[in-house]
Amino acid sequence: MPLLINNEVVADNWTLIDAETLDQSGDVIVPLALYLEHRAQFDARESGVALQLNGDDDLSSILSEVDQFPLIAIDFPAFRDGRGFSIARLLKRQGYRGQLRATGDFGRDQLDHLARCGFDAFQLKDEKFSPDVFKSFGEVSVRYQGAADDAKPVYLQ
Amino acid sequence: MYQYNEVDQALVDQRVEQFRDQTRRFLAGELPEDEFLALRLMNGLYVQRHAPMLRVAGPYGMYNSEQLRKLAHIARTYDRGYGHFTTRTNIQFNWPELAQVPDILAELASVQMHAIQTSGNCIRNTTTDQFAGVIADEIEDPRPYCEIIRQWSSLHPEFAYLPRKFKIAISAGPNDRAATQVHDIGLHIVRNDAGEVGFEVLVGGGLGRTPVIGQQIRPFLQKEDLLSYLEAIIRVYNLNGRRDNKYKARIKILVQAMGIDAFRELVDAEWEQIRDTDLKLPLSEIERVKAFFKPFDYDTSAAADTSLEQHLAEDNDFRVWFERNTVEHKVPGYRITYVCLKPYLKPAGDITAEQLDLVADLADRYSFGEVRATHNQNLVLADVKQSELYAVWQILAANNLARPNIGTLTDMTVCPGGDFCALANAKTLGIADQINMKFENMDYVHDLGEIKLNMSGCINACSHHHVGHIGILGVDKKGEDWYQITLGGDDGSEAALGKVIGKSVAADDVADTLEKVLQVYVDQRIEGERFIDTFRRIGIEPFKEHVYAVAN
Repeated sequence: MPLLINNEVVADNWTLIDAETLDQSGDVIVPLALYLEHRAQFDARESGVALQLNGDDDLSSILSEVDQFPLIAIDFPAFRDGRGFSIARLLKRQGYRGQLRATGDFGRDQLDHLARCGFDAFQLKDEKFSPDVFKSFGEVSVRYQGAADDAKPVYLQ
Repeated sequence: MYQYNEVDQALVDQRVEQFRDQTRRFLAGELPEDEFLALRLMNGLYVQRHAPMLRVAGPYGMYNSEQLRKLAHIARTYDRGYGHFTTRTNIQFNWPELAQVPDILAELASVQMHAIQTSGNCIRNTTTDQFAGVIADEIEDPRPYCEIIRQWSSLHPEFAYLPRKFKIAISAGPNDRAATQVHDIGLHIVRNDAGEVGFEVLVGGGLGRTPVIGQQIRPFLQKEDLLSYLEAIIRVYNLNGRRDNKYKARIKILVQAMGIDAFRELVDAEWEQIRDTDLKLPLSEIERVKAFFKPFDYDTSAAADTSLEQHLAEDNDFRVWFERNTVEHKVPGYRITYVCLKPYLKPAGDITAEQLDLVADLADRYSFGEVRATHNQNLVLADVKQSELYAVWQILAANNLARPNIGTLTDMTVCPGGDFCALANAKTLGIADQINMKFENMDYVHDLGEIKLNMSGCINACSHHHVGHIGILGVDKKGEDWYQITLGGDDGSEAALGKVIGKSVAADDVADTLEKVLQVYVDQRIEGERFIDTFRRIGIEPFKEHVYAVAN
């Protein structure tokens, strides 16, 4: 699955793990529930540990600590499930500065909104990628309201 | 009314090109159907029984004459010569070709119009009082706040994929003409004890399968906090609203499940985080937008006219129309004037291209070039000089736009129903005709007085049957159309949901059943009582008994 960062496809060295693959070496992305369950084990790892969040997670259990993670992936279970947009806003407001990655069933036509909400990495499914997806960023070059990219609405510009 | 600047224009122009590319990719098989579905819906495009249906936004009901002429042109060029005004004060076209929709959108953009967020699970067109700015009982003109909300909500990057659609309405005085209590968020412009003007905020109202009256979440909100508070409510909804069942996904279900107090706590906690940020609405921005809605340069000698009295005395048809279809304007010498879209035996809210052109001309000649749509599917010329009413009436009457039935039984609010809509369980248009034929006698209809009749072809309730004084809901029984009747609903300041009178009636019996209902009212009313007043006084039982009495 191509990973889009800064308008190009880049190499990805992170691996999403689950309960079966807890011992995966290298940099790993861990679903929140699994992380909380094996927290001491993950915190002791020398390689990178990232979180994966989704709309069903209780964010209050982790929100104040998000800055310790170099990467947080927010999963979109369906194209029309927009909870991830708000989760991203909450993380950015909390001061999160690591990579914020969209994963799952989002599509090219959501990239610009995702970026406005604070995402800076986009793991598109293979069938949704084509070289022209980058054109969707800034397809509408003006906007009214503030968001994570720029808090100022148009009338304060 | 509001005029686009470069940013507004660039936004709609670029949205057209974005949609053109989305349509191209869909037709080329590059864009999955389920993704295009969401993308086209949030640009107003449904796929209906016969063809796509395109819903064009009429922001808070405002249209100018140039826009009406463009809509007439679109109706002629891309459709079958007519359009249909909706209960959200939008206008929809029922017969466009999918491949031509981007061209229609480009035509709309050329007159500062669009179809953005007229459908889909996003923030829809904010609606308000059709008399905004011209009625004496309002505290402040609500339209500047509607426009501020329009801009904030347009292409809002966080709220494009909400659990379900989201509708906001604003009213500005003691008489609620915007059905605010049955909206996801209802805003009432109020004055607090300190004399400041702000908003009472209601949340969790809505119709559809589970009709609910909204509850107060905040008694008074400062104007500067409007956008931060809306953002807090909708963020809480976006994160917590149900997504497992589309029939339980509206905010009303979340508010009911949590209880208003727990919901308010969540909203307030979120609001605390954002109220003192750039979401705070500066007074300068409110003033900038208000400048677009300044009162017109009214003729101070208009009230000196004596010709109106004379015409009223001489022409009975004119007098009947004047009494029924015009409303007192806050400026002496002017009248608020309805353009009736409920003619005899024609679908409610439909308007032909010729009529659109004609209304545009009337607006230019007699009403400062502007027209409003109402949530009961009529139009309004808001600023007609009383001395010119007779001329306006003659033109309206010659074009089937002056039926003197506003606010009466035959001023029905009706969805397109099973003849057009893929969701409908039953047809509505034939039933509306049946009611029109039964109650053709205008003297009788005028004697019955103010009655709101709302008819929906399915439980999605697009025509708000729950809040009609008389509601009619089409249901499907083993392939046949049957109709369930409710009484006692209201979408005004004393909002209420109608009660079902009894088992549903067959299609051929709807008008006869209404006649029985109305007979109870006529027999029981006391002097000056409207249908709804009588209902509130005597309850549903006398109606039930008479309608379902076994014939001797």
